Amino acid sequence: MKNLLSLFLLVSFFYTTSAQGIYDVAKIPENLKKDAIAVVRNEEQFFDIKSIGSAQYEYKIAITVLNKAGDDLAEMAEVYDNFSNISNIKAAMYDAAGKKIRDYKSSDIRDQLASDGFSLFQDNRVKLLKFISNSYPYTIEYSFTQNFNGLLNLPSWRAIKGFDISVEQSAYTIQKNKFYQLRYLTSTDLKTDSVTIGDKVKYSWKSNNVQAVTREPMAVGVDNISAWVKASPNEFEFDNTTGNFNNWKNFGAWIYKLNEGGNRLPDVTRALLQKLVKDAKTPKEKIQILYNYLQQNTRYVSVQLGVGGFRPILAEKVAQVNYGDCKALSNYMKALLNEVGISSNLIVIGNGMPSLNQNYSSIGQANHMILCVPLPKDTTYLECTSQYKPMGFIGYDNADRNVLMITDAGGKIVHTPAYSAKDNYQIRKTKINFSEDGIADISIKSLYGNAQFEDNFTMLLKEPIEQRKILIERNDIPGAELTTFKYEQVNRNLPVMTEEINLKSNQILTKGGDRFFLMLNQVNRKESIPPKVENRKTYFAVPFSYTDEDEITYALPNGFKVEFIPKDIAINSEFGSYTAKFTSKDNIIVYTRTQMMNDKKYPPEKYNEYVDFYKKIYQADKQKAVLAKAP
Amino acid sequence: MQKNVLALVSLVLCIWVLNVSAQTKSTEKKEFKFGKVLPTEFNAKATGKDSSAAAIKLFDVGNCYFDISPTSGGFIYVFERHIRYKILNKNGYDLANFKIELYKSSNSSKEDLNYMDAATYNMVDGKMVTSKLNKDAKFTEEFNKNYVFKKFALPNVKEGSIIEFKYKIKSDFIFTLRGWRFQTDIPTLYSEYNVSIPEYLSYKTDLSGYYAITHTLHQSESATYVNGVASNAMHDQYTAENVPALKDEAFITTLDDYIPKITFELQATRFPNQMHQDYTGTWPKIITSLSTDENFGAFINKSGYAKAVLPEILKGEKDTLACIKLIYNYVKNNIKWNDDYSKYATVTNPKAVFDKKTGSSADINLSLLSLLKEAKIPAYPVLISTRDNGAHPGYPIISKFDNVIAISMVGNKTYFMDATDKDLPLGMVDYENLSHQGFYVDLKNIAGNWISTEPEYAREKIFNYNLTLDKENKLTGQISQYAKGYAALGLRNSYRKTNNETEFLKNFKKDKTGLELSNYKIEHLDELDEILTESMSVVIEDNVEEAGNLVYFNPLLYEKTKENIFKYEERKFPVDFAHPIKESYRITLKFPEDYEIDKLPKSAAYKLPDDNGTFTITYLTEGKMLMVKSTININKSLYSPEEYFDLKALFNTIVEKQAEQIVFKKKV
Repeated sequence: MKNLLSLFLLVSFFYTTSAQGIYDVAKIPENLKKDAIAVVRNEEQFFDIKSIGSAQYEYKIAITVLNKAGDDLAEMAEVYDNFSNISNIKAAMYDAAGKKIRDYKSSDIRDQLASDGFSLFQDNRVKLLKFISNSYPYTIEYSFTQNFNGLLNLPSWRAIKGFDISVEQSAYTIQKNKFYQLRYLTSTDLKTDSVTIGDKVKYSWKSNNVQAVTREPMAVGVDNISAWVKASPNEFEFDNTTGNFNNWKNFGAWIYKLNEGGNRLPDVTRALLQKLVKDAKTPKEKIQILYNYLQQNTRYVSVQLGVGGFRPILAEKVAQVNYGDCKALSNYMKALLNEVGISSNLIVIGNGMPSLNQNYSSIGQANHMILCVPLPKDTTYLECTSQYKPMGFIGYDNADRNVLMITDAGGKIVHTPAYSAKDNYQIRKTKINFSEDGIADISIKSLYGNAQFEDNFTMLLKEPIEQRKILIERNDIPGAELTTFKYEQVNRNLPVMTEEINLKSNQILTKGGDRFFLMLNQVNRKESIPPKVENRKTYFAVPFSYTDEDEITYALPNGFKVEFIPKDIAINSEFGSYTAKFTSKDNIIVYTRTQMMNDKKYPPEKYNEYVDFYKKIYQADKQKAVLAKAP
Repeated sequence: MQKNVLALVSLVLCIWVLNVSAQTKSTEKKEFKFGKVLPTEFNAKATGKDSSAAAIKLFDVGNCYFDISPTSGGFIYVFERHIRYKILNKNGYDLANFKIELYKSSNSSKEDLNYMDAATYNMVDGKMVTSKLNKDAKFTEEFNKNYVFKKFALPNVKEGSIIEFKYKIKSDFIFTLRGWRFQTDIPTLYSEYNVSIPEYLSYKTDLSGYYAITHTLHQSESATYVNGVASNAMHDQYTAENVPALKDEAFITTLDDYIPKITFELQATRFPNQMHQDYTGTWPKIITSLSTDENFGAFINKSGYAKAVLPEILKGEKDTLACIKLIYNYVKNNIKWNDDYSKYATVTNPKAVFDKKTGSSADINLSLLSLLKEAKIPAYPVLISTRDNGAHPGYPIISKFDNVIAISMVGNKTYFMDATDKDLPLGMVDYENLSHQGFYVDLKNIAGNWISTEPEYAREKIFNYNLTLDKENKLTGQISQYAKGYAALGLRNSYRKTNNETEFLKNFKKDKTGLELSNYKIEHLDELDEILTESMSVVIEDNVEEAGNLVYFNPLLYEKTKENIFKYEERKFPVDFAHPIKESYRITLKFPEDYEIDKLPKSAAYKLPDDNGTFTITYLTEGKMLMVKSTININKSLYSPEEYFDLKALFNTIVEKQAEQIVFKKKV
């Protein structure tokens, strides 16, 4: 009896303190306030799988915003679509002492279309609420229920929401029937609690007391410092389809099935295709002709609705309207090839995303579709949404990654070709000729290949008036006036383009008393150094591998002599290599520079070495020659 | 001050008159039928500067007329539009995806898309092939509770295709009619807008922009709205031909200010057997209606909240200016702006705003006025059209304002107030409100007037470097920086928006290679009337270079103007900085005993006509001390397109002179 009484007292004690302010800022441990713009006080994700095609999601979060930099976190933006609805939204704001100062009403919450920025039409919507407070710190809290009708994916979870945000506690629980099959991935060292009660199984994960990490340059994300979970169903039901995601083979089989019968073409198109390829001798030639036909006759229009987000529009339909999204156009191209006896496979790919995880199949890892044409010894990949890309050039965001090939025997992981540093070149020859009066004629000729072709490609499509604007804006040669310029892609079928720019400037030589200084690298300088970071926590990456080669020839004005010329420089590291060479003879100075960089993910401890490497390049790039008027 | 506004008005007028006098062409009657495409239209080519345009607008014809709503029995308006494009290259493909926005209010008033047809035409082997808009290529999106988007995707669009859209909207919202834009980012061959207004209604029309529109028709025509009642409508037609593509420029308010366009706002109704009802018409009418509006004048008059809090705010203070400051600060500290501009409060009582602690610009500034009124301090609303909203046409039209701030006079000095930003000192107008003029409203005496909002503040920065050069090419010493006006506002904002000082200094160092700093101090962060001051001890490496026995560096260090902000060879629109710009830099450098200055660059001073801008740079040495001073003053907030070339030349000089190096010779 006595024990029971004290327990009762204890409970009531907890009850009263919580009523007085569980979100009191004074209760946040000091270490969680350090470097933080906001603290996740409590996050609870509960996903209750009711059946193969339905689930209920309960979500609750409370965030304390410590200063103005954290205001962006004071927002609810929850996305839903035709296969889920959000209800039971509750939202409130608390002051620094944890006293509730406002309850939000349903009229405060906006409901609007969630545009993905590229689709003509799609069905995602968003519930929006912006919390506004005039004083800091403050705490926001909201919760809602989301009911799912159709389950392709299970919510993922990551305790750390981003840089500068600490976590007091965050938890995720999935509840399912013991016969329901799912797979999950977790961060290293994260403990999974599994409990079975009756025919229900519960998996739980939690993360407590995680300090904020200050934003780090070139970071690839916070996944290596946060607890996280990704989960995927095996068997599923969605929008009147069923399938099994237990492995990539079955995943591929589902896509294959969605696509069944979508290969037919109207007779008119078939006749036209036969006519088009009648003189083609090799399969490669046929692919080229049909790919050109696709590029000349279709355009990209994205419409994503329900399972239509995964099922291509019939080829027959595309033939009628000549537009479609990545799936429709890839499938159409497949039908075109099929008509002339060339078989091909759809490829499910994460464009600009990491490789598909060989050992974990789930729907969220891909966002795009391309086409693969396997030929003996020479497999070609086709990006079908571009009206411009040379055949076989799939671009940096599709290259060098695991993708899923869809075959009649299901899915199969294959790897797309990579573009090496050597492939992604920029070769630039510059001539700078000074006349007697010190005005320089500058001619810059550049050749761009592969990823660097891709980088500069949009210039080819612009009106001259726009090209001119951009060139003027981009130019950093002081005092330069643009005279003529030209962009060209000599061979449409190769990812190579040329650029010719001619300028005049009277400010290339900078004065210093009686002398003149000539910055030798006028066209390709690294202008800043990334800041050093002590105790870096996250991985970093060089965005893409490339090679730059520059040669600049200066013909100096008569009557000038070279008083000083810098010494040659060579820098080597695992990040890349760099050379600069300087020669001068009579009134000619020749400067050559090469820089090669490797795109790789590097561990945090390598970062400061990278900064040192970059700093050396920065210093090398601003080397100057000193000129004096010959007596 | 007043002079500046006049200058602006005459500048705009000047261009407009020029356009009117250029209208000489007579017009012929043009017919446009859906589906009737002439073979010659396939030969349409863009010319001149637009010769590589993505597409050409062959024509864009609109009709706006009135009808009677079968449900309400009141007037509605019908908007018909017929557009045809020739697609010249793939960049023009997006035109084949068409979007129509429809509005609905919280009550049953709405807009309906009544009719829509669209098609693509291709020339195939000398024959025109038509592809109609498919049923499954029509989409309806409920954007939010007020907007519905209708979207359409045309089939078979290729380079050389002609595409066409024709649609009809019926709208219950007759207060403002759909206006018309005569220019877009591709060339337009012909654009025409017809408006027929029933004799019972009158509309204020506003023509604006930087390209000539011709008023081709103004005639009364018979129009029957109610069976058996003969009535007339006034048919006005506006056209423009061969309009070039519109291109964006930097330092403008909004591109929309330069697009030739026409807009309509209801002015009055005079129905038979009913009182003539005036909606806008005159400033006194506008002010009268504002004075009683529950979201404006009546809002300010609700004194309950003010009565309750004023004693606590003022604590017996008697000095007017001191009282204004106390009240201004109280409002700034107690309500946070929700980033929405409005001229009407969203609620009907200041108390509701203070309770929520957040609100729109009108919620905040009208609450401020309510408090000032209760404190017996004369203060007035100033209606503003923000820079983004575009220039107000000047005549009495309320819908062209989108914001309200406040003004008060103490002695013979006026003070603007805008309590949406804590860091705005009394008297300063925020950048977005710097549209050169605002309309001041005296609700009590039903009076009002345009007043200048030209800022007395510039964006001003002063840099003071005090350094010693050692023989390892290292610079050591002190940097002090002072920010005033808009520079201080910007710096306060970025300081507060950063997590902590460590992060702030990281950003500060970002573009300053070689800088290491310590003892950073920022002063007067919260004293808005004081100069915002930063000071720090620094060690600078990587900026002094060596070549043989020469040692050289650029004395402007991190404050060098690296490139001309005016790079283009031509300028169509005025350069609108919003406020003047001032920047001055001084470095005092002590250099080693055995260094000699080789030869100093020449000191120089440059001036634009009428003192509109200046640049000076001076070099001085004394013993082993060097002093360099550079000053840039851009004295106006607005420059004409002609003056652009003066600015460009001035900045060319700045870039060239500021690049000059100081060269030391080492004694050997």
